[in-house]
Amino acid sequence: MSPKVRDYGLVLMLIVAGLVPLIVGLNPYLLTVLILMLIFIIYSSAWNFLTYTGQGSLGHAAFFGLGGYGSALIASWLSLPPFAAVFIGAGAAALAGLFIGAICVRLKEWFLAMVTFGFAIIIQTLVVSRQFSGITGGWDGIAAARLMPGGGGTNLLIEYYAILVIGVMVIVIFWLILRSKTGLAFAAIRENELEARAAGINPVKYRLFAFLVSAYFSGVAGALEVHHLGYITPEIFGVDISFWPIIYSISGGLMTLAGPVVGTIAITIVWDGLQTFGLTYGRFIIIGLLLILIIIFLPKGLISLPDRIREYRDKRKK
Amino acid sequence: MTGGLDIVLQVGIWGLYAGCIYILLAIGLNLIFGVMKVVNFAHGEFLMLGAYVTFTFYAISGFNPYVLLVASVPILILIGVTIERLCFRPILGTGKLNEIFISIGLIYLIQNAAAVIWTDEYRIIHSPFESITISVFGVNLPLDYLIIIITTILILIGLYLFLRKTRLGKAMRATSQNRKGAMLMGINVEKMDMISFGIGAGLAGAAGTLWVVSGQVFTPYMGSIPAVKAFAIIIIGGLGSIPGAIVGGIILGLAENFAIFTIGGAWKDAISFLILIVVLIFKPTGLFGESAE
Repeated sequence: MSPKVRDYGLVLMLIVAGLVPLIVGLNPYLLTVLILMLIFIIYSSAWNFLTYTGQGSLGHAAFFGLGGYGSALIASWLSLPPFAAVFIGAGAAALAGLFIGAICVRLKEWFLAMVTFGFAIIIQTLVVSRQFSGITGGWDGIAAARLMPGGGGTNLLIEYYAILVIGVMVIVIFWLILRSKTGLAFAAIRENELEARAAGINPVKYRLFAFLVSAYFSGVAGALEVHHLGYITPEIFGVDISFWPIIYSISGGLMTLAGPVVGTIAITIVWDGLQTFGLTYGRFIIIGLLLILIIIFLPKGLISLPDRIREYRDKRKK
Repeated sequence: MTGGLDIVLQVGIWGLYAGCIYILLAIGLNLIFGVMKVVNFAHGEFLMLGAYVTFTFYAISGFNPYVLLVASVPILILIGVTIERLCFRPILGTGKLNEIFISIGLIYLIQNAAAVIWTDEYRIIHSPFESITISVFGVNLPLDYLIIIITTILILIGLYLFLRKTRLGKAMRATSQNRKGAMLMGINVEKMDMISFGIGAGLAGAAGTLWVVSGQVFTPYMGSIPAVKAFAIIIIGGLGSIPGAIVGGIILGLAENFAIFTIGGAWKDAISFLILIVVLIFKPTGLFGESAE
């Protein structure tokens, strides 16, 4: 797919996203699924942003959760409206991102993955530890102000559109960064770090910047989820939460703006579809299998599927 | 003063015993990395499978669980070889991120398959030597800990002899030193990949058996924390370095147990990470690491 076609695809998706509630109506269950899907689109896009510099994190739940805790606490301490607290609270995630990024930027992929994988688990143990549970509520967690107090279909509809706007904003920010000189520097570092350095690009600076941005918007997504649910517990640091954005981004297509969006929608449909069959562990097994198969047979993700089909057809014509 | 020394010795032995399991995991990871240049993030799942294989055979046969190493190690070697062949071989060389991500798929697959087969209840086995303690230098130690430490040492000696003395072991070392060179010398490097993955999984299986006989609880999701610690160890010791893994494992086991003793049990898992960060800041290639790449 040429970049242009892909951009039109994004615009088309946006129109569909705007119209979907007209079809769904005020069904609270479906609206909740859609809201969580939007939040995870933001989260996956933020995770995917890191891969542009050739880095891969296995512990983004740390940022997702820290954004959630930061925002929930700030909202209650300063009695701010949740929609404002989200953007300040995510600062906690950005700080953590800066810290872990500073350790990781010089590391090779393996080390980076291992350190981030451990980081989420360690943050969880700290949150529930005796020393911090006074603030964080330990394993019980804490309550968070609802995005739209009161609940009900209309409020959920407002939430949906508000998060849609935030999601579009985030993706536009990523798009602006990636089409700028910074985006070129990312690509240079990813393809050949030595040559990038020879061309006067400081890889450490750009990697750290990518880490900061990625952590911040993961924090925003985490904060939105927490305020949507109305509570936060340390379960938010679980391995699952770290792995979902990876699964979504890989299935959609790494290093593309549309990939995480397509991946999140497709996998959410599969996931919720499987739920109706009453599978519990089976769902995870199928997702794991799907991930392995996509990596082996469709390494560029679902968005490369039209290309692959065209290629296949051309081959058969010859 | 003898009272203080007693405690230090006691905690030290606990640390050594905890270190044994980490060492077995970390050496497996290092062996695989050395030969294939792949880090298997699903390595903790092999530990878990080793634990459940031991559990199943124990429930069927009622043998002394230590004997069941004979079952868990070969079964895990088979599983490891199969996974290498089906999942890692097709994507080898397509990019490091892919190799990392495929192990995530494996984590989901293996954990939940185990939950389907064995349910996700907490399980525990009691070792027949559970109540026996022996006194060393005036400190009472559970016999199990000593057996575990000795078993690990024997496994390590066996591995050393295999890598140093046998043709296969030499071929594996050659592959890990220089893959292309080994290929030119007529070594089937793909076979070496399979064998190293198998041995790595087998060592994790042995760690699983030792985990079970020491009376620790296990669930299908138990693998990730020990795996994280094994990662910490190989970073501390240096990627690909087997002596580094042994030293790192002992350091981590000791540090953890002294941390429990001094600042409290909740910090047990955090301490490994703190050591990791300190090592990475001062020596990004690990204590025994040869070079950055």
